[in-house]
Amino acid sequence: MKKMNQWLTVLIFVFLYIPMAVLIVASFNTGKDITQFEGFTFSQYAELFRDEDLLNLLGNSVLIALLSTAISVAFGTLAAVGIHSMKAKMRNVVMNLTNIPMTNPDIVTGVSLSLLFVFVGSGLLGQRESLNFGTLLIAHVTFGLPYVILNVMPKLQQMNPALTDAAMDLGCTPVQAFFKVIIHEIMPGIVAGGIMAFTMSLDDFVISYFVTGSDFVTLPVEIYTYTKKPIHPKVYAMFTLLFALIFILVLAMNLMQIRGEKKRKSDKVDSKGVMIARRVVAAILAVAIAVGCGFLIFGNRREKITLNVKNWGMNMADGTDDTLDLIAAFEEKYPDIDVKMSYYESNEALFSQLSNGGITVDVIIPSDYMIDRMIKENMLLELNYDNIPNFSKVDEQFRNPAFDPENKYTVPYTWGTVGILYNSKYVSEEDVTGWELLWNEKYAGKILMIDNSRDAFGIAQYLLGYDVNTTDKAELQACADKLSQQRPLVQQYVMDQIYSIMENEEAYIAPYYAGDCMIMMENNPDLKFYLPQEQGFNLFTDAMCIPTCCKEKDAAEKFINFLCEPEIAGANMDYICYATPIGEAKEHMEEYLAESEIIYPEEEVLESGTAYAYLSEEISRYVENLYQEATKISASGSQEEESEGSGAVVVALAVMAVAAVLLMMPKKKKPIK
Amino acid sequence: MSKELIRLRDLTMEFDGERILDRINLYINDHEFLTLLGPSGCGKTTTLRIIGGFLNPTEGTVIFDGKCINELPPYERQINTVFQRYALFPHLNVFDNIAFGLKVAKLPKEEIAQRVNHMLEVVSLKGYGHRNIGSLSGGQQQRVAIARALVNQPKVLLLDEPLGALDLRLRKDMQIELKRIQQAMGITFIYVTHDQEEALSMSDTVVVMDKGRIQQIGKPEDIYNEPKNAFVADFIGESNILDGVMLEDYKVRFFGRTFQCVDKGFAPNESVDVVIRPEDIDIVEPENGHLVGTVTSVTFKGLNYDIIVEFKGFKWLIQTTDYQPEGATIGIRLNPEDIHIMHKSEYSGMFGDYSSYSAEYDELTADAADEEE
Amino acid sequence: MKRNKSVFLSVPYMVWMVIFTLIPLGVVGYYALTDPDTGVFTFDNIKNLSMYLPVLGQSVAYSLVSALICLLLGYPVAYYIAHRQPLTQKILYMLVMLPMCMSFLLRTLAWVGLLQDTGIINNLLGSLGLARVQLIRTPGAVILGMVYNYLPYMILPLYATLVKIDNRLIEAAEDLGCTPLQTFARVVLPLSVPGILSGITMVFVPAVSTFYISQKLGGTDTVLIGDLIERLFKQGDNPNLGAALSLMLMLLVFICTGIMNRFGGDEEGGVIV
Repeated sequence: MKKMNQWLTVLIFVFLYIPMAVLIVASFNTGKDITQFEGFTFSQYAELFRDEDLLNLLGNSVLIALLSTAISVAFGTLAAVGIHSMKAKMRNVVMNLTNIPMTNPDIVTGVSLSLLFVFVGSGLLGQRESLNFGTLLIAHVTFGLPYVILNVMPKLQQMNPALTDAAMDLGCTPVQAFFKVIIHEIMPGIVAGGIMAFTMSLDDFVISYFVTGSDFVTLPVEIYTYTKKPIHPKVYAMFTLLFALIFILVLAMNLMQIRGEKKRKSDKVDSKGVMIARRVVAAILAVAIAVGCGFLIFGNRREKITLNVKNWGMNMADGTDDTLDLIAAFEEKYPDIDVKMSYYESNEALFSQLSNGGITVDVIIPSDYMIDRMIKENMLLELNYDNIPNFSKVDEQFRNPAFDPENKYTVPYTWGTVGILYNSKYVSEEDVTGWELLWNEKYAGKILMIDNSRDAFGIAQYLLGYDVNTTDKAELQACADKLSQQRPLVQQYVMDQIYSIMENEEAYIAPYYAGDCMIMMENNPDLKFYLPQEQGFNLFTDAMCIPTCCKEKDAAEKFINFLCEPEIAGANMDYICYATPIGEAKEHMEEYLAESEIIYPEEEVLESGTAYAYLSEEISRYVENLYQEATKISASGSQEEESEGSGAVVVALAVMAVAAVLLMMPKKKKPIK
Repeated sequence: MSKELIRLRDLTMEFDGERILDRINLYINDHEFLTLLGPSGCGKTTTLRIIGGFLNPTEGTVIFDGKCINELPPYERQINTVFQRYALFPHLNVFDNIAFGLKVAKLPKEEIAQRVNHMLEVVSLKGYGHRNIGSLSGGQQQRVAIARALVNQPKVLLLDEPLGALDLRLRKDMQIELKRIQQAMGITFIYVTHDQEEALSMSDTVVVMDKGRIQQIGKPEDIYNEPKNAFVADFIGESNILDGVMLEDYKVRFFGRTFQCVDKGFAPNESVDVVIRPEDIDIVEPENGHLVGTVTSVTFKGLNYDIIVEFKGFKWLIQTTDYQPEGATIGIRLNPEDIHIMHKSEYSGMFGDYSSYSAEYDELTADAADEEE
Repeated sequence: MKRNKSVFLSVPYMVWMVIFTLIPLGVVGYYALTDPDTGVFTFDNIKNLSMYLPVLGQSVAYSLVSALICLLLGYPVAYYIAHRQPLTQKILYMLVMLPMCMSFLLRTLAWVGLLQDTGIINNLLGSLGLARVQLIRTPGAVILGMVYNYLPYMILPLYATLVKIDNRLIEAAEDLGCTPLQTFARVVLPLSVPGILSGITMVFVPAVSTFYISQKLGGTDTVLIGDLIERLFKQGDNPNLGAALSLMLMLLVFICTGIMNRFGGDEEGGVIV
């Protein structure tokens, strides 16, 4: 029995630490893939320290954790003293209130706070940036407070109430009594609560994810966007360093505690709690000062104009793989502008982020149909083309497009097609006949599907022979059914994660944008691209626009103009491999790309492509809901059941609400003594 | 008395190289009330835990009813324990606590109910069956603990400082109660305490222990009257212990005088310890005394006065009902039966000197002794 | 310090909690009951929830199974730690805590690397000449992710209650005739119920609402309620339906924890630390 326990414990610890070991090993890997160790290197660490943005994000996380902890500790300690002196009934009510953020799932807390901030900020106060540093801080304080209170309260209860009396008897005012006596008694609780609030804040992802604005992003939130793309190993290097740091800190704290205990046994001079408390406070102060200094420098830098660019992932040259670091080049040319990039996964996600409000964005690069929608919903600003002289370099055929007929809002960035990427090692050529390849049961579990409603419906529409811009609900329903049929065969619904999955041969077939496919084909020569000409395919244009929540329009136009410079556009295309609408740019890019038929198909091929148009808000939402049902919910939940069950759901929810309230009421205590 | 039930043979216990028990040899008879008495750290609780089966001795054997039970786990021994501070199960009520052992033994329900209810009566807790453990007073918890052990009708009941957590009054009542229960049930009690009064008033046999060794085994009266060494003399009651020389049988010399005594069998001119109990000393007029001294301090103790008397630079404690003022000169007389002679031992010279006597001294040592393991 | 005066010290806190805890829940309710386009009062969002019931059921099932597995794995570990020397206890406790301080996103990502078809485990199997197995994108993988991430939340409260059990109670049970197994069943287990319940709650709540674990380790039919909420807010542009789902999730969690508290009795199950 004991032996068994011991082995099980060892196994569990192995289980807990294996993934961390994997990450640590990956941080020393010369290759980018976590599953293949190609060789030992420290270069990822060098990369890490070159990456100012990543270090800034870490600084942000520490800053918000320190600030929120300081506020939580101050508020929470006072509150605990107050609650302690309440009558039992009142105390119960307040403690239940305290428990709400502890019990509530993080996602609900995050959602509820973000709705509040947007509702009050954008809705009532008409604020532009209703999600910002302040709201993030508020959220962190809100979930940090209960930890402080729940740790301080027991210490207050353990404290001998006569201590306060004794202090006042000896001439202390109540306030003096608090600072001279009580605070020492409850210090271990304050420290424990503070540490917990700090770690929770430092590592919080879920709540921050919902309340983060564009001006201040913490590390975990950014890591989430990293994990949606091929992740750079320098992130593992940072993980390793943080792990080492925390490990040493915790170890040191434990050792100090043990030494403190020994000392206490021998001479009983200083109470353990006070000693640890002093050291922890000293440590926290030291870190705070360091970060403060860092923030000052960072703050000085912020005197520059910050240009917030929201882009697709992997859609702008960033200096990796010997390409041009476009942002750096721009910042060099305009030293007073600081570009901050953030990312979206799909047109729909971008739209959702913008219409939820609360953020500042200066430049976006959505696709045609979404631009159409944004123009119709007054979400874009008209451009001043005088500030964009390079617009003249845009080829004639890309001017005045259908989605912006008077060319008032947009400057085209790229264009391309959506086709099928497949791995010729596993997929036999005879199966590659059209979109139906994505429904081929032979490849069940090895098919990826594009994870956005418009492209997914488009593929179904091409396959079924419908117009891609249909508004016929029966046709749309048929498409949804088709997608829902496909679901059991699909391995994952993905966007930018597609890179590693296809390159690693984790999956064999995926529909995606030609440019991205080109990059993947370079990395894995077995991959091939196929464009279903007979059935039709999407021909898209991504264009740069300025949304209404823009703050720096001049800088934004400078940026757009910069991207239209032929040399820049050419170098950019070397990285993203999409087709450029700027003919001159082809002279500045790698020849094989400029001549690639995948990127620039023949005229006659292009004729069978169609562009998506914006349908209507109602249809968009209808499609989005259908997509959600078809791809996320099991196929059985059909429309008929819905109408039957819907009334019952309202009733059931009401019953649940009552039950929850009843259960939250304080329980009658059994008599003790 | 009756037949032998338990025998400890050469019991030795070591923790981390430190010898806790040193070759303990002891037998315990059936129906006996035996007390292990000693200061904290003397090994009495360790002995008890070895008998209970919670510890395995480093060396030596425990023989129960003629069989070695060293390897027997606690749950297979016909021995039950009343633990220090009771160790009642907080998740069970009074009834279920008492019924615990019976339920484990899978007795029929009716029998369990009947025996538990009977036990509740024995310990005067009738009607408390449904009560929560937390709602009981210390004395009531104590009785539940005893009932829980006794209901299993063990051959032997081990009690580890069972009254330690009770206040003085309750302790006295429970002493009588325990003795009554022991006699009524007719089982062997092995009782551990550091309280000599408790040991003397309840036990058939007292085993005085110190430093992991048995110092003396005997009836309470024998232990008190004929302590084997200075340690026992001091630990059991108050004693004045003096250096003396045994001239021949019945003749001892100390303080420059020869006294008649009742002891014999010592080597001629052997150095000995002489024990004189403070209550045995008669105070007489100075001219009639064997010795003459000066009263240096007087403390009123209720029943008597504790007075410290200085004889030739050596201070004695004398308990007397007659008030003597500080500074008075008094004489004392010693009857032969009041003089107890002991061989010299490792404890000689460590006890029995009241030169630094203070009234608080007793209380301080009593407090320290409470901290048993 | 006059007792009634110091009550006012908690006023700022209470105001804060009302504004940033209670009112937001009211706002969620408001969104759940209004139309996304017009802002008019409607039950449509709530009615639509019936479609999502299977997903909710699946979330509950997965997280209950995870909580149970955590209990089965965590109990022996907590028991083992609680019966070590104080120094060893401290070190082991720290080792359990430590993973909780590290980014759970990256740690989960590491599992993807381990489990995927071309991942570390399968590569290892392949090089040993064994058949590769489908590990990732199965319900098992999602549950594994939950167990991995939330196991410390089970071990810590269990340890806290186990370490408090007086060793003399265990001796008393043995003294009264219990074999070690019986001692465990009759004394240790009942006394650790508060820790079990608080552990189950602490695993269940984050598990039932997670979205990252299922996104990374799950397949197309292991979608959880958290995924849907995240999607509705971040991509689907339907915060009202998202609010309705959040409301349902919140009620579910409150009911579950409420029931747990009822069972748990008065004793506090020792929150972490």
